[in-house]
Amino acid sequence: MLRVFMAESTIRAQIKELIVRELNLEGKDPASIEDEAPLFGSGEGLGLDSLDALQLAMSIEESFGVRIPEGDEARPIFRSVASLAEYILGAKAAQEGVHPGGGSSAIPA
Amino acid sequence: MTEPLRISVTGVGLVTSVGETREATWAALRRGERGLFPIDLFDTTGQRASLGGAVRGLTLESAPEEQRGGAWSRSTLLALHAAREAMEQARLDPRRIRVGLVVGATTGGMFETEARLAELHVRPDSQQAQLEMLAHPLTSTGDCLDETIGPFWQVRTVASACSSGANALLVAANWLLSGRVDAVVAGGTDGLCRLTLSGFNALAAIDPEPCRPFDQRRRGLNLGEGAGFLVLERSTRALARGAEPLAELAGWALGAEAHHITNPEPTGVAAGRIIRAAMVEAGVDARLVDYVNAHGTGTPLNDLMETAALRLALGDELARIPVSSSKGQIGHTLAAAGAIEAGIAALSVHKQAIVPTAGLEEPDPACALVHVPGVGRDARVRAVISNSFGFGGMDSALVFTTPGLAPARHRRGRKVVVTGAAALTPRGLHGTTDCGKLLQRDASEGPRDVTLDLAAHLDLARARRLDRSSRMAALVVGRAYEESGALSGPREELGVILGSSFGTISASAAFMHRLFAKGPRFASPADFPNLVPSSPVGHVSIYLGLGGPVFATSDLAASGESAWAQAIELVEGGEADVVAAGGYEEASDIVERSLAILFERSAERQSEHQPRAEGAAAVILEEQGHARERGAKVLAEVAQVLTWREHDASPLLPLEPPRGHAGAASVILPRRDRALEDMLARSTWRGVPVRVCEGACGEHDALGAAAVAAAVSELAHRRIGDALVLGVAPGRGYALRLVAP
Repeated sequence: MLRVFMAESTIRAQIKELIVRELNLEGKDPASIEDEAPLFGSGEGLGLDSLDALQLAMSIEESFGVRIPEGDEARPIFRSVASLAEYILGAKAAQEGVHPGGGSSAIPA
Repeated sequence: MTEPLRISVTGVGLVTSVGETREATWAALRRGERGLFPIDLFDTTGQRASLGGAVRGLTLESAPEEQRGGAWSRSTLLALHAAREAMEQARLDPRRIRVGLVVGATTGGMFETEARLAELHVRPDSQQAQLEMLAHPLTSTGDCLDETIGPFWQVRTVASACSSGANALLVAANWLLSGRVDAVVAGGTDGLCRLTLSGFNALAAIDPEPCRPFDQRRRGLNLGEGAGFLVLERSTRALARGAEPLAELAGWALGAEAHHITNPEPTGVAAGRIIRAAMVEAGVDARLVDYVNAHGTGTPLNDLMETAALRLALGDELARIPVSSSKGQIGHTLAAAGAIEAGIAALSVHKQAIVPTAGLEEPDPACALVHVPGVGRDARVRAVISNSFGFGGMDSALVFTTPGLAPARHRRGRKVVVTGAAALTPRGLHGTTDCGKLLQRDASEGPRDVTLDLAAHLDLARARRLDRSSRMAALVVGRAYEESGALSGPREELGVILGSSFGTISASAAFMHRLFAKGPRFASPADFPNLVPSSPVGHVSIYLGLGGPVFATSDLAASGESAWAQAIELVEGGEADVVAAGGYEEASDIVERSLAILFERSAERQSEHQPRAEGAAAVILEEQGHARERGAKVLAEVAQVLTWREHDASPLLPLEPPRGHAGAASVILPRRDRALEDMLARSTWRGVPVRVCEGACGEHDALGAAAVAAAVSELAHRRIGDALVLGVAPGRGYALRLVAP
């Protein structure tokens, strides 16, 4: 039985590409976005705002088929690329009926 | 000292989801009746929220023959009803006195255009659908009204998103003070459409339930549609005519938050400043204010910010003054809102009564205001404030009072000079020094697109949301302002007016195609704010930090002209000391295809169809004393401005002849125009050399902005001493005389 899991690192890379493309961060190398860097709020990290959050949520749903809840529930999910990737992995696993840490279904990478 | 002036409101016309007439609307508002229902004007499958305030009885299908098809749209039909009602109340006959018209618009004919886009989505080669894409320029409402209930001597279309309707009233007030016209019909209109429903849903800004302004459970706005128009005239004229003043428009103010394209500036400082400015303008102290008709959309952010702004403006008096939002009953009517709500404010003065905030049951403790839940009531109403805050942070406040309450004002006729100029063409970016190159008679066979790397000239971190139009505009306005030196001083008072004809058509079409292809769930939140006609000017104000008057104008191929005419009026009238005036047009395949079909089908083709070019230009208009005080270099002086419509038989009659010898004067046109040149040949400017911009710039509808920039450059360098800049489009024209300082 072949088990293929969507690697979290792949998801992180895809999220970074999405961020640069959808939020129009012209000239920014997606690879330069740190996994744990805060995405939102001024001062540190990328300094994204609420309009960016909406755009990101829409495009994540479009690309990954995963829906991010609205409102306060979304805050911890949007904290960083890492937290987004973790959420997406978990949601996709739930869609496939497996637990994220291990399981039996094949998920195409 | 000139005669003291007062501006009377002599007519109010309203069409809303709770009433198709003024009295029906007012009665319903007083009863607390809500007009928010599931939208059935179009398919709302997949929409996150779809309650709205539709005007049920009025449809194009039920309108008279001549008001269906062509340029007529739902928005225009609504406007006709409201404008006509206002004029009837005022007993205003535009054939007997000079009446102006100002229309605040946002979606215009989008509802109708969406049907064309839907067709093109499945049948991309449909020529008819392609052609009809051009049927509804933003000026359609003004033009249809001019034909149906005119004639109007001066017509202006303004766009500042959710404050357009209020903005129209400000422009009208300014016209009255300058004596340009005897009365003005001014207001705003917007019809419901898929684009705005999808866009606001994408922003998660719509409450799936009936909205609850100021309520702690509020989740957003509900869209509405409608139109509101007021008749404004000088009180002395109104009385002489036997027209009863319902209220007085005592003061007004507008300005920009320069903060964010969708979110309000949270501290309310900018909005508070503008509300305060309107009160100061009116000479009305907070102790005289008895009611505030709020912007009150019901979004978590607006209502909070507005409360803060009102506290800043009204201080301790806020604890006494009732505040309500009519959007709980009629929804957010976008461009109509500022005018409908101004009408409500004027009526509250006339009827000595206030109307409630429907939907408000549990006031948010953070919105500590004297609320008006449930139904309206009789009240002593001396002065009323009406707020409107638009996307991009374009805020306005109007103050209405009982007649005679506030001090009268005096006419301000200030001298306007030019202190900066810049242009962006397919040949590059030009500052004041080389804008004269725009008049070089190069054959227009050069590139049509602006090839300059716009991103390289902007701070990308702050410009990432700016689309192409906004970037071109930001570049020229920024450059013109830099040249004027005004950016090194406080920017809070600096304004910008931008004119465009096709504006955001391309982006709107792209948004709709995506909507048709992927459904409402995947409509792009970041794209939506860029679709309203005032987006580029809003972006420019944010990018450059400009807090003065900011809005957009449009007038077909004279769009650039409409912007400088508007900016000059603002400075001349004392609304602002420094205002940038510019125009932009972006290359667009969609527009090109439509124009090509139009050309092919037109009977009189005199030459080959030339694809449009793209570009932008801007000049800085400033009050003379202000320029002198800050030691600014004056490039040119405004000597005379004329605007006219088709029914004006001799528009150039008031034109002063050129000064000095003919060689020192020049006529500068955006493009060659036979009719215009014939008009010149019969004027005191015959024989004066004529030069055009089209050769160097290519052809587009905002060339009028380039023409002024070119004239300013020539004057600044003393190559000429007197310039007449003229611009026309079917049925309208503008003239600007500039002289060397």
